[in-house]
Parts: sequence; C-alpha cells; structure tokens
Amino acid sequence: MIAQDSIGPNGDGDIVVIDGLRKSYGAVEVLRGIDLKVKKGDAVVIVGSSGSGKSTCLRCINRLEEPTSGRIVVGGHEATGKNVDLNALRRRIGMVFQSINLYPHKTALGNVTLALRKVIGLSKAEADAKALKHLELVGLAHKADSYPAQLSGGQQQRVGIARAMALEPQVMLFDEPTSALDPELVGEVLNVMVRTKELGMTMIVVTHEMQFARDVADRVVFMDHGSVLAQGTPEEILVSPQNPRIREFVTRTKS
Amino acid sequence: MDQIVRYFFDFPLMADYWPDILKGFLITVEMSVLTVVIGIPLGLLIAIIRLYGIKPLNALIIFYIDFFRSIPQLVLIVLAYFALPHLGLILDPFTATVVALAIVLSAFAEEIFWAGINAVHKGQWEAGRSTGLGFTQTLAYIILPQVVRISIPPLTNRAIGISKGTTLGSVIAVPELLSVTSSIQSNVANPTALTVGALLFLALFLPFVRFTRWLEQAYAHPRS
Repeated sequence: MIAQDSIGPNGDGDIVVIDGLRKSYGAVEVLRGIDLKVKKGDAVVIVGSSGSGKSTCLRCINRLEEPTSGRIVVGGHEATGKNVDLNALRRRIGMVFQSINLYPHKTALGNVTLALRKVIGLSKAEADAKALKHLELVGLAHKADSYPAQLSGGQQQRVGIARAMALEPQVMLFDEPTSALDPELVGEVLNVMVRTKELGMTMIVVTHEMQFARDVADRVVFMDHGSVLAQGTPEEILVSPQNPRIREFVTRTKS
Repeated sequence: MDQIVRYFFDFPLMADYWPDILKGFLITVEMSVLTVVIGIPLGLLIAIIRLYGIKPLNALIIFYIDFFRSIPQLVLIVLAYFALPHLGLILDPFTATVVALAIVLSAFAEEIFWAGINAVHKGQWEAGRSTGLGFTQTLAYIILPQVVRISIPPLTNRAIGISKGTTLGSVIAVPELLSVTSSIQSNVANPTALTVGALLFLALFLPFVRFTRWLEQAYAHPRS
C-alpha cells in the first residue's frame, strides 16, 4: 500500500490510478493485484484471453463491480471506499457495454438526453441540443427519432457511445464494444472510437480487436489470470512481445 | 328452439325489474373498478418495496403474497365481513368484498410485476447507473416503463378473473348484478334474468379488455 498523498490529485497528469486492485468471487480470485495508471488523453487497450479479468477490472473503475481491496482514483477523486458518492463518480466516467444496453422504450435522442436531464439537470431544449451534437459526432443525428430496434447493431453502439460522451466524462470505459456485433458493423464503431480519441478523450478499452489496439493504443496492457503480465507500447506488446505467454496469444489472434 | 327463447330470452318478463338490475350492474361496475384501481397499484408498490431488499420486510411480503394467492376469495370475503368486527373493524358488505378482492389482486399483481422486473436485462440497470442515475431514478425512468409494458397482458387476465369474484359478494348480501339477477330468477321462475346478467357482464368486461389492448399498443415501442 503506497501512501495517501503519493497518488495526489492529478499529480502526474494521471486521470485514472489503480493501485493493488483485488477482486474475489467467494474463493475465486479474479483480480490479483492490478496496478495501472492512465494519463489524460491516452487510450489504454487491455487485451488478454477470456476470463483473464479484463472486464472485471474495467467494471471496478466505476464500481459496477465492488473491489475486494485496493484503491482507485479517478480525476483526483477517490473511487473506492465507503463514503464515495457513486452517482457523482459514475457521472464522470462514461461506459460503453458489450451488450450495448440502449433503453428500448426511448428513441436514440431519448437515450442520450435521459441522464443529461435527470443527472445534470439540463432543460429539455438544452439536453436535446447537446444530445443532437453528440449524435452528430457519431454520425447519427438523422436517426435521432429512431428507436433502438430500428437501428443496426453498429448504429446502436454508436448511440451508446454518444450517450456516454454527452455527459462529458473524464474517462471513457469501453467493455468489448464490438464483440456482439456482426463483423461488417465492427468498423463503424471502431471509427467512432478513433474519433473519440482524436477529441482528446481518455479511454480504457477492453477489446479483441488487435488491429485497433495496434493503431490507436498509446499503451497496451496484457492481462492474464487476473494479473497484468506486461504493459507497454503496442509495438512492445503486440508486435514483438518478449513474454512467451503473450507471444502465444499474439500468434493465435493473428488470422 | 321455442323453449330456449321462452326460458332464456323472455325479456318482457323483466319489465318490472330493470331498475333493480341496473342498480346491481352499477354496484358490480363500482366494485370491479375499485378492486382494479386499488389492487394493481398496491401490487406495484409491494413489488417496488421488495426490490429494495430489506430482509425482514421481504419475508413478510413473500408471506403476504403466498397467503393471499392461496386462500379462496370466498373465504377471505367472509372473514373480512364476519371476523374483522371482532378485531374492531366493521366493514359494510360492499367494502368487505372490495378489500378482500383488492388484496388478492395485489398479491397476484405483485408477482406479475416482480417477474417483469426480473425479465428486464440487468444491463439496463447498469446502463442507467453508469450514467449517474440513482437506483430509484433508474427504476422509474428505465426499468418500470419496460416492466409495465410486458406486464399488461398477464395483469389483464388476473384483473378480469378477480373482478369476476365480485359475484362472491352475494354471500354477504351485496346486491351486485349476479345476486340481483338470481333472485329475480327465483321470483319469476325464469332464467332470463341470468341471461341479462351475463350480457351485462360482457358489456362490462369487453370494453375493459379492449382498453388494455389499447394500453398495450400505447406502451409498445417499435420492435423492428
């Protein structure tokens, strides 16, 4: 355990600091002490086999999963601990889900405006304008009045990104955002993610899209059995990995 | 054929009884509406309380639901009318019947809403919470609208089934439609009164069923 003040608010320009994160389900330890720092504006891509704890790690950051121990700081604010205002924390952290999770009874616009109105407290006109701006950014302003079921999977996920981005979070978490999509719809979502990065958004992405990791990541984190096995540039981790376990993974994901 | 008409469709014979029949019909309408208007919101309220997961309270709720779903409505009406006075609560026959039926409906409605809440994908909760919405906000704006939609058909079935239990009010002398028409039947020795009663029940419940179909449409969201 490092001292309280050594992490400091925004001390080293780190938006997210994870320190000694552990998570157990009963006797099964799925995260065995994760340390991770994410600089403002960086895209960190977490890769690894299924069951390595990537998603759990991501979901601990906005406390959709309750860490067993360890400390997480987001934007200088404690994210772990009993007295954290979870709603305030989550409002500053955007999340995009593998299962997309658009609200089926609301239009694309309604999906984006809900939190703008009920969490931020914008008026209907302000929320609509802001939501439209973000739907525009994901190229779906013309689908504002469509319901999720009337959109393709790729379009749905782009609305999901707009919904999270509209709250102007300090960091965006992407939990396998393209894994549930038909292959031909993956590209449009990845393109929107690239644009998100270009807008200067800090991103933590769990994905199996190795091309995306190579092209977009500032840093790649390789997780294995609940631990960070290695982290570095995409070149270091995905192109010429030193670790035999990672070499094996990289060879298998090349197809 | 002539016999059937004479026994079941001798409407002129009813001439003297229309005011009584109408009164009985209105009482049945009132009891049905009150049962539904009290029972369904009460069921929803109980389901919502159950969702907050307060252990001793939930044990009580589950007992309430299981008890009132199991006990025959007739027994409950009789108990409400004859037993509650011993506890200091005196209800008139009309109120006793409505209270008993509304409680039974609330128990069934709770289970329907509870099943509906569980049928909504947990990702919906996570999506709402991840944007900073609180538990109650997520429930109100995201979960319940979806729950209501999927719950309407089973709720309709239950509401109709239990509203028809208003006829059981006759055992404690509520002058509702069926009790009125069956005593007319004995008076004139002709079952046409029951035919009239049946037609009026149709007149009551068919619009109700149409209304819930409309409600289903109103809550529907495009599927493709």
